[in-house]
Amino acid sequence: MGEMIKMVVVLSILSVISGGGLGYLEKKLKPIQEKQIMEKVKGPAVKDLLKDASNDPVADRFKIQDGDEELTIFVGAIDGKPKILVLESNASGYGGKLELLVGIDTEEEKLSGIRVTTHTETAGLGSNAKDDPSFAAQFEGKSLEKSVAVVPDNGEISAIGGATITSRAVCKAANQAIKKYKELKPKLLEELKKVSQ
Amino acid sequence: MAKPIYQEFTKGLWKEIPPFRLVLGLCPVLGVTTSVENGIGMGLATTFVLLCSNILVSLLRKVIPSKVRIACFIIIIATFVIVVEQVMKAFVYDLYNTLGVFIPLIVVNCVVLGRAEAFASKNGIFRSILDGLGIGIGFTLSLGALGLVREFLGKGTITVWGEPFFEGPIVNLVESMPSFVPFEFMVQAPGAFVALGLMLAVMNLIPSK
Amino acid sequence: MEYFEIIIAGIFVNNILLAQFLGNCPFLGTSKKMETAVGMSMAVVFVLVMAGVITWIIFHKILDPNKLVYLRTITFILVIASLVQFVEMFLKKSIPALYAGLGIFLPLITTNCAVMGACVINIDKELTFLQALVASFAYAVGFGLALILFAGVRERVLLARVPKPLQDTSIALVIAGVISLSFYAFQGMVQAVI
Repeated sequence: MGEMIKMVVVLSILSVISGGGLGYLEKKLKPIQEKQIMEKVKGPAVKDLLKDASNDPVADRFKIQDGDEELTIFVGAIDGKPKILVLESNASGYGGKLELLVGIDTEEEKLSGIRVTTHTETAGLGSNAKDDPSFAAQFEGKSLEKSVAVVPDNGEISAIGGATITSRAVCKAANQAIKKYKELKPKLLEELKKVSQ
Repeated sequence: MAKPIYQEFTKGLWKEIPPFRLVLGLCPVLGVTTSVENGIGMGLATTFVLLCSNILVSLLRKVIPSKVRIACFIIIIATFVIVVEQVMKAFVYDLYNTLGVFIPLIVVNCVVLGRAEAFASKNGIFRSILDGLGIGIGFTLSLGALGLVREFLGKGTITVWGEPFFEGPIVNLVESMPSFVPFEFMVQAPGAFVALGLMLAVMNLIPSK
Repeated sequence: MEYFEIIIAGIFVNNILLAQFLGNCPFLGTSKKMETAVGMSMAVVFVLVMAGVITWIIFHKILDPNKLVYLRTITFILVIASLVQFVEMFLKKSIPALYAGLGIFLPLITTNCAVMGACVINIDKELTFLQALVASFAYAVGFGLALILFAGVRERVLLARVPKPLQDTSIALVIAGVISLSFYAFQGMVQAVI
């Protein structure tokens, strides 16, 4: 019996120390890890989306609280004037989660472009959402008034051949970002002003 | 324990060098040695876990009840593996991505658990540190050597830490000798087995003493 | 169709032993005799499918919602270790015949990277529950297939004259390379999520 108690005590003490220590470490390292992911994974996509920007959109990002969620928003300046906001969004595609960056031109109230960052779609079909620039290019300049949709859904975006579900998911994610933008517009524009200063 | 204490360190470098003399922990050996830097990176991560777990197991060897010792070892090892995972994710993100699944798998690397069970749980802390360091460095050297052979033959390059220390590969046969065609088989899956098997044969030619 | 693709990918294209290098210790350790190879394969199929399903549920229902993702490695290894213990006790009591066959292989499975590796891959590739279930099964069958093929060749090699330095593990690795090469022909056959 005494041995039994010792076993349980030793195991629980070890687990508690290990769990506590790891929790502490994770808290300390989280910001550094986020920065790494920002630079290595999202950075290139954001910069690609904001090719014409005169600033560093990754450096000029800010965070905003939306209910329980914290959104990260990248800012792009054209000729020194910050006016493009890049929002993150996601939707379920054919293979799983599909993540999207949506650029919104705040002055002209239109989409400045989209980029798929990560996806699990079928290679050669759905993966073209990321790999084929002509699909993403269709979103450029679309007005925010009307939600984007693929042609079969009475929209203007021609779906990727053989991957209607993926194309729909991209549209859905883009619409979500537009909705978020409209909801948070006052707050977002305020933050944007801060960046310009 | 009549052995001189320095031998606890040196045995890991030659006499019991994993995975050649001690045929354990083969998965990372085969999986990540497509280049020198991946091999060495994996080796160092394993060394860290091995050293820390050896120290802790040796310190706690009198407290841990023998019936649940394996469970305790696994908790200790897994904790340090997560430490390595988190630290690598924060500071060497590219390497973290390349090694991928093999980092969490250090936890089931037989070398680490094997040393905890066979050595650290029976020996004092000082000897355990030397043992951990020796075996760890031996493992790193093996991975580096296999990575060197495979990368040199398979890609014609030798890369030692691309960005932070050197710019690009330090040797590049493909550029300096256009007639060289890389033997790509070596960096692909089957080549890993063949390369390791042949290196083992070469090691067998040299007597262990 | 999607699940069929996962099965083909798991067994042949991305064979866990020959293409992903997971589980090599038992691969070399239990392949000297056909009998042990079959026993090990069965035990792996049994445990891997269960472990794949349980770790998926734990990750997506407990760790992920509570922001404890960083504890993944330690949780998974403990789940696998206790699962193996549990299966061992269950078989011993309920199905002694099966236990007699698999018993000695079960403890070895805890440190089999194929089991842990497959669980981690299921999470990393963001598979759905059903995909993870099918993928775990395919990986396990792929493991068994490679192990049994390998054991068949190795039994023959015992009768052959092998140069001295190449004996034992060394020639085994070269053979594994050749088998891996034959599996390499499947490369690009299907484009599955795993």
